[in-house]
Amino acid sequence: MKKIEAIIKPFKLDDVKEALSEIGIYGMTVTEVNGYGRQKGHKEIYRGAEYVVDFVPKIKLEIVVSKERAEETIETVRNAANSGKIGDGKIFVLPVEQVIRVRTGETGTEAL
Amino acid sequence: MDKMGTGILTKKRDVLIEKFLKGNESGFLKKYTSVLDEYFFSIFEKSRAAKKLTIAGTPFAIIALGGYGRKEQCIHSDIDLLILFEENVPPGVEAFVQELLYPLWDARFEVGYAVRNIEECLEMAFSRYDILTTILDARFICGASLIYTSFMERFRSDLSTKHLKDTLNYLFEHGEKRHFDFGDSTYLIAPDLKSGFGGLRDYHTLLWYAKIKSNIKTKRDLEYYGFLTHFEYLSLKDSLSNIWKIRNFLHYITKRKCDTLHFEYQTELAGLLGYGSKNQQPNVEHFLGDLHARMDFLKQINQIAFEDIFGSCRIKKGTTEPRPTKTDGLVIKKGRLTFVNTVVILQKPDLLLKIFLKSGLRKIPLSIEARRIVNEFLHLVDDDIKTSPACIKIFKKIMSLSYWEFNVLNVMLATGILEKFIPEFSALVNKIQYNHYHLFPVDKHSIRCVQIMNSFKEPGGSSVDTLYRSVFKEVRNKNVLLFTALLHDIGKSNPAKEHSKTGAKIANPIFKRFAFNSTEVEDAVFLIENHLALVKTATRRDISDEETAVYMANKIGKIRLLRMLYLLTVADSRATGPKAWNDWTENLLKDLFLKTMGILKKGELASKKTQRIISKKKENVLRLLKERWRKDEINSQLESMSQRYLVHVPAQSIVDHINLYRSLGDKEFVWQISKGSNSDIRTVSICGKDKPGFYSKVAGIFFLNGLDIVASQAYSLGEEHVLDIFKVKPPKDRIFEKEKWEKAENDLIQAIRDDHFLDNALDKIPLILRVSSGKKPEPNTIRIDNETSSFFTIIEVFTYDFPGLLFSITNALYRNHINVNVAMVATKVDQVVDIFYIQSIENDTKIETRQKLTQIKKAILNSLPDIIAKEGNNEKN
Repeated sequence: MKKIEAIIKPFKLDDVKEALSEIGIYGMTVTEVNGYGRQKGHKEIYRGAEYVVDFVPKIKLEIVVSKERAEETIETVRNAANSGKIGDGKIFVLPVEQVIRVRTGETGTEAL
Repeated sequence: MDKMGTGILTKKRDVLIEKFLKGNESGFLKKYTSVLDEYFFSIFEKSRAAKKLTIAGTPFAIIALGGYGRKEQCIHSDIDLLILFEENVPPGVEAFVQELLYPLWDARFEVGYAVRNIEECLEMAFSRYDILTTILDARFICGASLIYTSFMERFRSDLSTKHLKDTLNYLFEHGEKRHFDFGDSTYLIAPDLKSGFGGLRDYHTLLWYAKIKSNIKTKRDLEYYGFLTHFEYLSLKDSLSNIWKIRNFLHYITKRKCDTLHFEYQTELAGLLGYGSKNQQPNVEHFLGDLHARMDFLKQINQIAFEDIFGSCRIKKGTTEPRPTKTDGLVIKKGRLTFVNTVVILQKPDLLLKIFLKSGLRKIPLSIEARRIVNEFLHLVDDDIKTSPACIKIFKKIMSLSYWEFNVLNVMLATGILEKFIPEFSALVNKIQYNHYHLFPVDKHSIRCVQIMNSFKEPGGSSVDTLYRSVFKEVRNKNVLLFTALLHDIGKSNPAKEHSKTGAKIANPIFKRFAFNSTEVEDAVFLIENHLALVKTATRRDISDEETAVYMANKIGKIRLLRMLYLLTVADSRATGPKAWNDWTENLLKDLFLKTMGILKKGELASKKTQRIISKKKENVLRLLKERWRKDEINSQLESMSQRYLVHVPAQSIVDHINLYRSLGDKEFVWQISKGSNSDIRTVSICGKDKPGFYSKVAGIFFLNGLDIVASQAYSLGEEHVLDIFKVKPPKDRIFEKEKWEKAENDLIQAIRDDHFLDNALDKIPLILRVSSGKKPEPNTIRIDNETSSFFTIIEVFTYDFPGLLFSITNALYRNHINVNVAMVATKVDQVVDIFYIQSIENDTKIETRQKLTQIKKAILNSLPDIIAKEGNNEKN
């Protein structure tokens, strides 16, 4: 199993969610995060005072899928989150050792 | 061990529970208490160990403490016992405790006990207040009653002679600490039925206080001894029985002593309590609304107790009485504001409102008595009062006095006078939205929103706080803002419809009633209708795209409205709860606000005038294209075009460009050359894929082919394409003009393929430019403006015209990794002002570092020839 962590632009969340549900992936964890990569923060000026936006608000998605579905999932996220600009985000793929459903104790892909 | 005893006990208890679940058991708490009492009787009667102890001359009393003592035993409440001896505790007691309690523990009852003599008990009681309060509730069960009575007598006398003040102080301080620890239960998703603010503890506190002060025996005495009015007592009875019922159900479904009404149990509880109709889901919101109303009442009970304690003990600590009020008919007593008498209210009913104004201004709370009076005299608030300009003025003033720690509006709500003035508000009272998002009932949320709005007056800690403060200062009409804060959710009274739209409709007459003028009403209605627009756009659209800010600016239209909407959005989100408000949303919102403000201030892309121009143009385009295109096709095409483009390009050209764009297909670019009807200038419209350096390459190709650029504009077209317009002088050789354009086109294809194709052309840029003008020529000047736009760095180049100028500048930009997004190039005689809206190629944002800006400036200056006056020029003149 693989865990796919995607950092995307906030306004792309609905697109990504929809695209994922189209390929049958409904479960995910969504977190509001702040950070920066190549796209640095910026400053705005109001009445002569500078207001710095240090961190860029982003959305973090976490999805765990079976190994076979990983490629397809990554592609879907990538396509849906892509606007061709900087700050579109990044996708990390991590191996997952085990998944256990708390209620039933099912393990592995059964528990996904 | 007596298994039989507990057998009977659990059987009796289960029968009671069953009856209770069916809804046929109203006096559960009392009856369950009796069942427990019976158990203790029977054990005591049969116990050999007890008999031995009595015979040995060490009789004892079994005493119930705490909730069990009050006869308020819920299904899984603790059973607190005290086994009290007169003097010494004999060793034989252990055998008795085993007989008495082991079976209970085996049957999984939660029993706590203590074995003490009177002296120990008194010592403990006065050194630990939590023990003291349980003793206040002590009740004799069985055994030697004399020991109980003599203990209680000593306890009472010690309490009133030595420990009264300390105990009252404890009650007061402990209450404050409890509220701090547990929070306001009426405002929590999972309220604590016992310890939270608005929980049962609030009633206990009043009861304890009354027991300490007047030695009352039961809660009924609260009314008889004047702690509560008759109606308050009735409400208390109703609230308690309701909360106890919920608590019992909660104990039942969790199978343990659980007093926190967790989110996940709420639906089940609502069902058990009979909320909801036959087919529908249980009506959780209705259930919680009722519960909140009851807890709200307990909060008031708590305030009554606190007020009294405050009055009887705190004031003696040497706090000085505030200076008297000047308002006739009002008086300050023991640090609380109240009416001189009730007759004065009949004469001047506006005092009912004025007392809140005074309270807000002086930051002195109303006394409990004053609150009762306001509530009982509400009928005096008639239409004359409500419409009198003086009262409206007072009301508006009160709005601005509603602060965090001291909120007059909440008191106005509790006394009912707020609803008297705004009857529409009633629909929001205790209206719950059942989700994790909304923490507060709508009425409390609305009042919080006003508080937060007022808090913008205060200097805050962070930089964004200073932004709120400075924006708040700039809002001229703060009354409109505060009223919209109070009424922004007024549409939630109707759950079926979109609440912002409904709200705008309901609010309109309210604002008129409060004598706001027509512009103010219009503003307020707009704000209420759009109170979610900013936060929705900030979280759901790309705010780094200029078009988003332009869209917002056009929607809002006025700087004054944007300011108000921003503050309303912040106050609303903050008042909702932590899910709606955190750094993340705050950042997004701030960014969108500042960007939209930038657009509105500049006015170029969003003003009434530009909106008119654009909508007229769109109509024209539709008319011109209607024969060949479907309407929705054209509309979606127009939607993808930037506002800046739509403002500056005439309708006929837009039509041409749309056609051009359609013919692009897979090609890198297409162009169209047209000749003006009454001038010799050619207009070249180029539509191409947005690639870095494209604009510069087009300029270079024209230079290479000796085509003089007179003017040029560049725009982006959607996300991936550009549209450049060049006005050029025709080639000198008119006969082979067509061939010339074909060559230029081929050159451009090559230049796109080969990044160094134009390097040779660079060599042809002059190093020195001699200009002839009347006066001394101005040197080349570059002005960088990084403030006007949130999206682009704007570069203005002032220089003199020469062939290849545009190529030279744009090439310098391109080689420095700069993208030209918008260009406005125009020549006036020979002096030119070229304006470029640029972004970094790497990250599509404006250039922020000083170092990079200096580098760009230098590169452009280096690309320009030195300007020198033509020789002999000055002599001639």
